[in-house]
Amino acid sequence: MGLVRFVVQALRCALSGGIAYRLWLAFLVALAAWGGLAYVDQIRHGLIATNMRDQVSWAFYIGNFTFLVGVAAAAIILIIPAYVYDWKPIKEVAILGEILALSALVMCMLFVFVDLGRPDRFWHLLPGLGTLNWPMSLLAWDVLALNGYFVLNLVIVGYLLFCSYNRRPYNKHFVVPLILISIPAAISIHTVTAFIYNGMAARPFWNASILAPRFLASAMCSGPAILLILFQLLQRTTRFEIKDEALWKIAEIMAYAMFVNLFLLGAEVFKEVYSSTEHIVHFNYLFFGLGEHGALVKYGWTSVLCSLSAFLLFIVPATRRHPVTLNLGCLLIYIGVYIEKGMGLVIPGLTPDALGEIYEYAPTLTEVRIGVACFSVGFLVYTVLTKIAVAISLGDLTRDTVPGLAPAGQAPKPVTADA
Amino acid sequence: MTHDDTLSRRDILKKTFALGSGVFLCTFAVKAAKGESPDPTPAPKGAGDPTGSYKLPNGYEPSAHYYGYGIDLDKCIGCTRCVDACKTENSVSRTEPNFRTWVERYVIRDDDTLEVCSPKGGLDPYPAIEDPGSVAKSFFVPKMCAHCERSPCEQVCPVGATLKSPDGVVLIDKKYCIGCGYCIQACPYGCRYFDESTRTAGKCTLCYHRITRGLRPACAEICPTGARVFGDLREKDGPLAKFLREHRVQVLKPHMGTRPKLYYHNLDKEVR
Repeated sequence: MGLVRFVVQALRCALSGGIAYRLWLAFLVALAAWGGLAYVDQIRHGLIATNMRDQVSWAFYIGNFTFLVGVAAAAIILIIPAYVYDWKPIKEVAILGEILALSALVMCMLFVFVDLGRPDRFWHLLPGLGTLNWPMSLLAWDVLALNGYFVLNLVIVGYLLFCSYNRRPYNKHFVVPLILISIPAAISIHTVTAFIYNGMAARPFWNASILAPRFLASAMCSGPAILLILFQLLQRTTRFEIKDEALWKIAEIMAYAMFVNLFLLGAEVFKEVYSSTEHIVHFNYLFFGLGEHGALVKYGWTSVLCSLSAFLLFIVPATRRHPVTLNLGCLLIYIGVYIEKGMGLVIPGLTPDALGEIYEYAPTLTEVRIGVACFSVGFLVYTVLTKIAVAISLGDLTRDTVPGLAPAGQAPKPVTADA
Repeated sequence: MTHDDTLSRRDILKKTFALGSGVFLCTFAVKAAKGESPDPTPAPKGAGDPTGSYKLPNGYEPSAHYYGYGIDLDKCIGCTRCVDACKTENSVSRTEPNFRTWVERYVIRDDDTLEVCSPKGGLDPYPAIEDPGSVAKSFFVPKMCAHCERSPCEQVCPVGATLKSPDGVVLIDKKYCIGCGYCIQACPYGCRYFDESTRTAGKCTLCYHRITRGLRPACAEICPTGARVFGDLREKDGPLAKFLREHRVQVLKPHMGTRPKLYYHNLDKEVR
């Protein structure tokens, strides 16, 4: 009963807002529709509508998936300081990190879905309905880990908001253990995703034990980079209180994470270059090109340069506190990690292929459009959930709210596990 | 809230219990799912495609056989009739680059440069060799699925649609495959392809519909020089046992630990 009313009111809240807000929603829906039409095309013609071929059988879609798993895992960069170290300024915004995790997971699932040759058989992957090849296949592990993490975050976010909506303190004996479990769960989703690549002996570019640590380190940069920008938007557009200290602390953690990421990259470069076995060919393809095949070279270097300069911006306190350099750093990190953990990981791993053949992949317009649609849906989910969470936190949306009435502007009470 | 009441012993116990029960439930769900289709017995629904549901002939006992394949590279003349026969026998697309077997031509020059080509798997004519005077050696290498004992493709399939039958043949249940493409990149030998007609993975079945009826695979049947030798490793006087006894053989990429059952005689070090 109460739950139904909660959902209805929350949705009503999500759909109402200023003209800019509604235009933003309309824009996202339009983009999703534009990409959705491309997906209809892909369904009609099959995966031949993409540029994926047997040599490069995973590409743009799975690259985005991999990047977004990192974004989802990065919610813990807020949870650890908030709940393990009990650091108040971040605690107040931790729920927004969990919402980001939820949205990123929605995008992850969409990207896997659109990569399937037989999306009608998607249910074969679902635990209980299909036949998961568990524990043999790492993809089966990933299905379990991602779904588990999704449910965990959904329960935490939903429960916290529902309690706050009902103006009652939540049961911390229920929530805190769940939040603490979400820390190893976040690490595990990214580790398992790394193992999907890592486990393949046929692909030496991925078959390096450093891969999972590198995944984690880069995830600790990319997710927070998105959050920092969103937090500043909320600071400007709502009464939701986000302290600058929280932003600076997150930027500081990102600097350390980026250092680890660059260090691990350096370790890998050393091993490849010094031993210089035949496996270096993939590495060379990414950074130097192979003969006339050099489509990735500019991206490979862009990624390294972006990550390196973002690290420098964030390690110096003055530049990570200045709004301009802070946002520039976020953008550089986003670009750097998007390339590194997306196509910069997937494509060189498959080029040249197991027979030594080189197929230079570049996404088709269909693939890009479908990718845009997946991102739009994810942003839509994030926008709607954040709108609801902020309204509830500020006391604008409670069970006493009369629809249609102007919000009562009570004292803001952020949603935290701090009641 | 302080540290102490967040992490009381009671909380930790509760947490552990919650985690434990979660893991237990997951295992349970997986076990329940494993009891269902596809049938792990040797008659996978998709085998013997493209006709779809394929049944084992009466009296055929899969566990009594264990198939392997030998190729004598000295005898291969690059006629590629095997490629053609495979396409016809298994209705493999001739327009898409789908090959269950193909023949590569290697040209090694005096200065150790290597040229490998396989135009349309060998169905199109091989280009004329330029500057024949500088050729040190040249030879053909037919390729196909090695039906590995420890096949990575079977290992990685998320839904168990790839399976190894008791007679040692790696097969795809095309009615269960979701077309994720993971197996295609897991194969170190490039023997899998994405089949546009079914939108699933495709591969050599060792002509499972033929061999279970006592026939040879189409490629071995048609080979005019006897370079291709199909046989049952359990049959001590059979053609494959004889081939292995009389020739020094090698497999491709033995360091992968896949234990392939495709044995080459006179394999050059440049072949991968």
